[in-house]
Amino acid sequence: MANDLADTRGSAPLAAPAVRAALGALMETNSKVVARDVTVWYGDKQALFDVSIDIPDRAVTAFIGPSGCGKTTFLRCINRMNDTIEGARVGGALEIEGKNIYARSVDPVVLRMRVGMVFQKPNPFPKSIYENVAYGPRIHGMTKTKADMDNLVEAALKRASLWEEVKDRLHQSGTGLSGGQQQRLVIARTVAVNPDIILMDEPCSALDPIATAKIEELIDELRANYCIIIVTHSMAQAARVSQRTAFFHLGRLVETGPTEEIFTKPRDSRTQDYITGRFG
Amino acid sequence: MADHTVKAFTEELDGLANEIARMGGLAETAVLDCISAVVRRDTMLAQDVIARDAKIDQAQRDVERRAIKLMALRQPFAADLRHVLTAWRVSGDLERIGDLAKNIAKRTLVLNQSDPIQLTKAIERMGRIAARQLKTVLDAYANNDVQAALSVWTHDEDIDAHYNSLFRELLTYMMEDPRTISPCAHLLFVAKNIERIGDHCTNIAEMVHYLVTGEEMSAERPKGVEVSADTDD
Repeated sequence: MANDLADTRGSAPLAAPAVRAALGALMETNSKVVARDVTVWYGDKQALFDVSIDIPDRAVTAFIGPSGCGKTTFLRCINRMNDTIEGARVGGALEIEGKNIYARSVDPVVLRMRVGMVFQKPNPFPKSIYENVAYGPRIHGMTKTKADMDNLVEAALKRASLWEEVKDRLHQSGTGLSGGQQQRLVIARTVAVNPDIILMDEPCSALDPIATAKIEELIDELRANYCIIIVTHSMAQAARVSQRTAFFHLGRLVETGPTEEIFTKPRDSRTQDYITGRFG
Repeated sequence: MADHTVKAFTEELDGLANEIARMGGLAETAVLDCISAVVRRDTMLAQDVIARDAKIDQAQRDVERRAIKLMALRQPFAADLRHVLTAWRVSGDLERIGDLAKNIAKRTLVLNQSDPIQLTKAIERMGRIAARQLKTVLDAYANNDVQAALSVWTHDEDIDAHYNSLFRELLTYMMEDPRTISPCAHLLFVAKNIERIGDHCTNIAEMVHYLVTGEEMSAERPKGVEVSADTDD
């Protein structure tokens, strides 16, 4: 027995580096979303050409590119929002955690619960702040008692850094909040249904710099728990909030890499020209 | 590279490059003149080099002011960002080169008060190499020429080799005739200053490499035989 124990202990230091290496490799390939040759057609116009990208979990990935480059189109593929557009066809493979999200068995409504979306313009429902957040959990039957729902609403509002500002007026209308608060309310509504992925389509373009900074701080906090993908027209915002950046141009993914690299030494001259303001 | 959509941005970046070119010209002249002053025992020229250093200092402040303005108002990215950072750092190296030239000129004034030392020929050769290195690296900067920058980087060992041999010769001189110790010591500082001008040229070469490629220069620079602190030959 004593010998066995000694053997185990003796081998542990040898095994540890190998285990760490294996874990390291696993971390490297920790992709939440994997796209391969994704194409999108709107009628007979092709909007997206063969986009292949791996998007990591628990990190912010920014999509940048000039208007009409396909970044929003690709974003909308990830929660099948393009399904709602007549004549839109999506080709190629798009997987979340290894599962094809365009498989017949996938219910887009369930998918959109896992893949939340925040839009350019804050769009709270014309209901109370409380009801805005409780809406999703209620239709998905996530809570049984009023107390559970109260806790869930409070947790979501705290996660969206809005709780302190609204806790005394939860039953007032959500549309009475300022633009920045409305956007954080929408984010609270999104995180209330416990998604894996949060898609943000220019979430700060209608906000002033202070409200923008609050959203950016919030994004930075949220990335510890979610895979966040943000479409932005502001280079500086992409540089500030994201860990990885993908540049789209004319419906193609031109370049993707660590944000620091994209903004200091992009490989592709088109990326260089775009981020330095030479076209776009 | 194509121009910016915002023309003023392009103009400001060009303005920064032009200011570095002008500052480089001032530093280059200062190096050539201080070497000439020490070799020809030209007191007037030495005084002129000392007086002109203020212009180089002023140019550095101007480059920094422009760089700060570009960073604050334009938020440059990628090649533009590297352009601004490089200009900032190159201006620092050029300012130091100006200081070293000024120091050589000051020592010239002291040297001219004692008898000439034959070794000024070696100083002249070393100075010429340093001035050529400076010219080459400034051209490399102006033309985004990585190859030229690399050649400056590798040729710095020529200056180091000259410095090391001059160091030994000066020691021999001083041992043979203790009355030469004071001028020889000044000459040794002159040689050291030239050697450091060479080092600033390699700094600039490294920045040119970064400017063009976005990569730090990783390899260890080839070095001549070091002068050890306890050398006794």
